[in-house]
Amino acid sequence: MSEKAKTILIAEDEEAMLDALASKFEKKGFKVIRAHDGEEGYTLAMKEKPALLILDIIMPKMNGMDLMEKVRQDDHWGSDVPIVMLTNISDPENVSRAAMSHVYDFLVKTDWRLDDVAKLVEEKLEQAA
Amino acid sequence: MSFKKFFFAVKLSDKILLIFFVFSTIALLLVATILGGSWQQLFVLITMVYAATFVFTYIVSKNFSKSLIDLAFKVQEMGAGNLSKRLKTKRRDEVGQLINSLNELMSRLQTGVAVDVSKHKELSRAKTDFVSLAAHQLRTPLSIVKWYSDYLMSGDAGKFNEEQLKYIKEIFHSNQRLIDLVNSLLDASRIDVGTFIIEPKPTDIIERAETALTKFYQEIAKKKIKLEKQYDKFGMLSLDPRLTQIVFENIISNAVDYTPAGGRIKLVVKKTEKDIFIRISDTGYGIPREEQPKIFTKLFRGEKAKKLEADGSGLGLYVVKAIVEKSGGKIWFESPSLDLLLEERQDADDLPLDKKNMGTTFFITIPLRGMRPKAGTKKLENLKNIKKSKHVNA
Repeated sequence: MSEKAKTILIAEDEEAMLDALASKFEKKGFKVIRAHDGEEGYTLAMKEKPALLILDIIMPKMNGMDLMEKVRQDDHWGSDVPIVMLTNISDPENVSRAAMSHVYDFLVKTDWRLDDVAKLVEEKLEQAA
Repeated sequence: MSFKKFFFAVKLSDKILLIFFVFSTIALLLVATILGGSWQQLFVLITMVYAATFVFTYIVSKNFSKSLIDLAFKVQEMGAGNLSKRLKTKRRDEVGQLINSLNELMSRLQTGVAVDVSKHKELSRAKTDFVSLAAHQLRTPLSIVKWYSDYLMSGDAGKFNEEQLKYIKEIFHSNQRLIDLVNSLLDASRIDVGTFIIEPKPTDIIERAETALTKFYQEIAKKKIKLEKQYDKFGMLSLDPRLTQIVFENIISNAVDYTPAGGRIKLVVKKTEKDIFIRISDTGYGIPREEQPKIFTKLFRGEKAKKLEADGSGLGLYVVKAIVEKSGGKIWFESPSLDLLLEERQDADDLPLDKKNMGTTFFITIPLRGMRPKAGTKKLENLKNIKKSKHVNA
């Protein structure tokens, strides 16, 4: 995998969580772009165009759902970049919004171990390649 | 007027009639004595007066008693729960006043009851919202603890000695127990407000059973429980994988928790003509007869169960029953369990009765065509509230 293909963006405002997740991916050889809120996430995503996005839902300035929908409006890169929603809010409304925006991976944080998240992301990237 | 009402009216007019008869008889005898005349004339006069009196009093008393009788019957209807009933009257006397006061009382009762019902709904909604919100808020720190202990266990942050690793594992597992509890609370509150989602997708049911079992292998080995498994071959079935696993986890967890060391557990997943048939039998303590009707009730925990396993939440079987039934399946149990115990009992004859374990078997069916999808209906109104208290992000 090229370096570009192993660049992912994680938007997560809870610093401890962002750090645990990013460290795990960096250990696995990924380049991680860290974003601390929705707006920063959107700006960095449009600028760097990473191979995959991991988004939290509840974030200041712009929530993960709106960020996802804005990214999907981009005709080239954004319309089919794999997106993984990683959240603790898996309410019906969010699940259906995610499904409509072609996000099939809606992970509840407490249900996932770091290695399994990493495995899933690697699979997604292989499928996309 | 029905016979019952007529009889009531006659009874009421009796007393008034009697008074009239007594007074009119005395009056007529006095008149006859003063005026004089033949006994025949007197007899005709008395008969006429009596007849007239009877007709007169009957009309008067019927008119008076009709209102009271109507009142009595309407009050009976109201007592039976028909609070919308109102009485009509044009009367301005005491009976009229009584009817008006009664109507007013009924109106107040009716609004009172309505307020009470909506208050109750509001309260139960608030309660479920609270549980749901609390569960989400709790999940954030829980996932942080989970991820960091996981990170440390994986050795990514450097190697630990055996003792250190043991402690980290303890943190990880205790945290996991909390996560399971929060998840059960969340599931139970979703069942209560009807936002429980079932999302069937191609699922290997045996793989779900096996994944659920992995959580308990350590405990099974520690208690030296003999585990038997019997699986039919299934293709991919249309099941919600998360919910299927919750079902297995809960019934296995109960079997493991309430089976003493050295016991047996048998898990069977069979295919019948129309159903997936799951049966889990154990040689455990069993469920006392008096507690059997309550075991699927939310938060119910048996007396013995509390002593044996202090950690249970009383949510497991409540959630399992809801999942199974909302998927179009059925769940039931028998205790004593006939499945494993017939053979076990032969060796147990010399034990005193109260030491003998009854064992339990749980039976579950899920339609082979799969679970029915169910969409949640409630929007996430709490999103804004959570945002405001952002320091505990979910």
